[in-house]
Amino acid sequence: MRSEAIQGFIDRLLGRGQAAVTVPPLDGALKPNNVLEEAAAGLAVTAPDNLVEWSGRLLFSSGSRIHSTDGRTRFDVRGAVTAMASSPGGLLAVATDAEGISIKRLDGSLTRLTRPEASAFDCTTAMVFAGERTLFACVGSAENPIDRWTHDLLEGGRTGSLWRIDLDSGDATSLTTGLAFPNGVVLAADGDCIVSESWQKRLIKISTTGAVSGQVIEDLPGYPGRLSHSARGGYWLSVFAPRSQLIEFVLREPAYRRAMMSEVDPALWIAPALSTGKSVLEPMQGGALKQMGLLKPWAPTQSYGLVVELNAAFVPVRSMHSRAGGKRHGITSAVERAGTLWVTSKGGDELVALDVSDKAE
Amino acid sequence: MSMQPILELKNVTKEFHGVAALRDVNFTLLAGEVHSLLGENGAGKSTLTKIMAGVHAATSGEVLFNGRKLTFTSPAEALRNGIAMVFQETSLVPSLTVAQNLYLGKENFLNRLRGIYISAQQFLQSLNFGVDPTMYVSQLGAAQKQMVEIARAVHHKARVIIFDEPTATLTPEEKHHFFALIQRLKKDGVSIVFITHALEEALAISDRITVLRDGQHVVTDDARNFSRDKVISAMVGRTLSTELYGRPGEKRKARPYGAKVLSVQNLSMGKMVRNTSFSIYAGQITGIFGLIGSGRTETAKIIAGVMKRDAFHGGEIRLEGRSVRYRTPRPAVKDGIVYVTEDRKLEGFFETKSIAENIYLNLLGADLNARTLVSHAEMIALAEEWTKKLNVRAIDSSARVIELSGGNQQKVVIARSLVQRPKLIIFDEPTRGVDVGAIAELHRVIDGLADAGLAVVVISSYLPEVLKLSDRVLVSRQGRIVEEFSADEATEEKVLYAAVH
Repeated sequence: MRSEAIQGFIDRLLGRGQAAVTVPPLDGALKPNNVLEEAAAGLAVTAPDNLVEWSGRLLFSSGSRIHSTDGRTRFDVRGAVTAMASSPGGLLAVATDAEGISIKRLDGSLTRLTRPEASAFDCTTAMVFAGERTLFACVGSAENPIDRWTHDLLEGGRTGSLWRIDLDSGDATSLTTGLAFPNGVVLAADGDCIVSESWQKRLIKISTTGAVSGQVIEDLPGYPGRLSHSARGGYWLSVFAPRSQLIEFVLREPAYRRAMMSEVDPALWIAPALSTGKSVLEPMQGGALKQMGLLKPWAPTQSYGLVVELNAAFVPVRSMHSRAGGKRHGITSAVERAGTLWVTSKGGDELVALDVSDKAE
Repeated sequence: MSMQPILELKNVTKEFHGVAALRDVNFTLLAGEVHSLLGENGAGKSTLTKIMAGVHAATSGEVLFNGRKLTFTSPAEALRNGIAMVFQETSLVPSLTVAQNLYLGKENFLNRLRGIYISAQQFLQSLNFGVDPTMYVSQLGAAQKQMVEIARAVHHKARVIIFDEPTATLTPEEKHHFFALIQRLKKDGVSIVFITHALEEALAISDRITVLRDGQHVVTDDARNFSRDKVISAMVGRTLSTELYGRPGEKRKARPYGAKVLSVQNLSMGKMVRNTSFSIYAGQITGIFGLIGSGRTETAKIIAGVMKRDAFHGGEIRLEGRSVRYRTPRPAVKDGIVYVTEDRKLEGFFETKSIAENIYLNLLGADLNARTLVSHAEMIALAEEWTKKLNVRAIDSSARVIELSGGNQQKVVIARSLVQRPKLIIFDEPTRGVDVGAIAELHRVIDGLADAGLAVVVISSYLPEVLKLSDRVLVSRQGRIVEEFSADEATEEKVLYAAVH
């Protein structure tokens, strides 16, 4: 039996195993379509982020402001909102990059949770209530603030953590650490947390004691983001950026990556993005994307719009896409409500509503 | 087409060890006609043609050639008299070149290769066959071998040419050339006997059709008096058409996606498989359609460990989330991947061993035998169980596999694979050279496997079959999966367009 080190060396030499620059194809239930791109025009909002249903209304965050989709509620918080969660009893948890996590009640009162350590919750990426007293929060990275998520990816960040917060006492317990950018959390039927570990492109199951009990879906073709429940006992998974062979290649070339990070404007890095096509200096453009003036059907893209429905066993059953050249990219959050799926396209600055009532396909 | 019979068989009976393969068959072949011979496997088509070509002598009855009674003692003698037969399994010499095979037995005393290469090149080009005459036959694919075989029959300037399933291995384009060739031969006054399982072909190109069943003559009539359904009911004695390939326009409900069992990413092998990527899901039949040489078989063989991918950046295969790379098929079988070969005669079974031995050997290969020692009782029980499950028709399980008909051989090959308890089973051309009755049975078996939750892959060049079986259709072209269709969006036109363009 060869040792791990020798196997790793051979893999790197021959481009196998961990060193293989491969990306799983978008096929089966993930077969590309234009459903998301062709959906009716939605609400134009600057960088809408986290959608959450709170006391009968659908709230979404945009910068430091929280709106409801019907336009009746609007309030501001200090700092940019990074994540939100609501409880059935009417609690709304809001995490910002300036103040950490606060709890807003139906009566309008606001409680700031005492921070367990300085700035531990500045990079909160997702939260979920378990009952009225417990809140689970994903912290993407201990080293990078949330707007530097591409830095975290390129640095191979594994400093994310999952926390349990007791709302009565305000105690926060770190359940699991060393996660590669946990970026979404939802409670499974058995009460365990399902966490999307973005840089590992997988969903993992973490018990309430913090033990990782396995991966429920692995090797996704994109970077998974927030999760929510579907009306059919399954889940909606937002995939905020695609994987591509170019990015996989850059991730395996440390010297090149360091040089790029020190010399190039972060907006122009070869890295996943929430939107592309805004600058003429982008790394992929012109002949790499277009032929005879038309976008190639196989054109590579750094940004993509994808929301996937998973069934209760975490098997993908259908998906909605906005493909290369589309606008509705960088899907960060999706919530189903009365047959309509509300989707935030952070890259496309739009809140889109999709009809998902007819269980098609 | 004259009304003068060139070949006539009167009340021919042929017995093998007292078992009649043909009983009182009358058959006439007119000069310059295309005469299709149809029937299930084991109906006696091959036996009948072999009597014409001098391979077998009739037990009773007489054969008239140009009005004279004839008794050929060897195929060579028949060939000298102008009757050539193109066999199902090619009879070329693999270690000789294409040109040498064409001129085999006709060489000059001093055989100058350059000369025969040039004339072979001219000859093959005149037939529109793109085969390099300097290639060794062993290097050729099945379709090209078939072309050389056909070219050889034409080259001997035979007056009667018997084709035994010539189109089974040809691509649609090659088939087109082949049918043009048949028309050309017919115009030159050559009579053609054409055995096929593709009924559309028989209906399209024949002047007359004869149907045999169980060694007996059922009907002979002009082709225009036949329809597909009529031929099938004559062949099997019941109508099977809708059972076989569904009613036209009828949409099946596709099975839902199960868990992703296999993910193939950027897989490459030489020039045959080039950066192909696709996934296979449990509880579904994934059909892979593609023309010959589009790398379907090679991809499947890499997955099953029969072939190896490129050593350097050859891509990844992930089985249930684990990267796998097999050097031999055995670990693949132990992981639950089974490949059912397209070339069953060469790779599918031990032809001189019995059904029971064949099935038991695969059980041993997968280490699933109940006892450490080889057990005769276990072997017999296993063979009984599977011959019953798959309805293998043989005298008994000690019959050697080579003695079975194509459909039953295929069932044995499938039984051998299923005893290994696969999670992923890849069928490569499961119904090639199998009669219509057995096709329906095999389709039921394949459907049953998917219903039982296995991940099933069916590779086929026959479009109606792909469309009938598949829950999703992948189209392969030039070594790569280029398109995916769900069951309800796949139509013959769309799939073929994707495969060709």
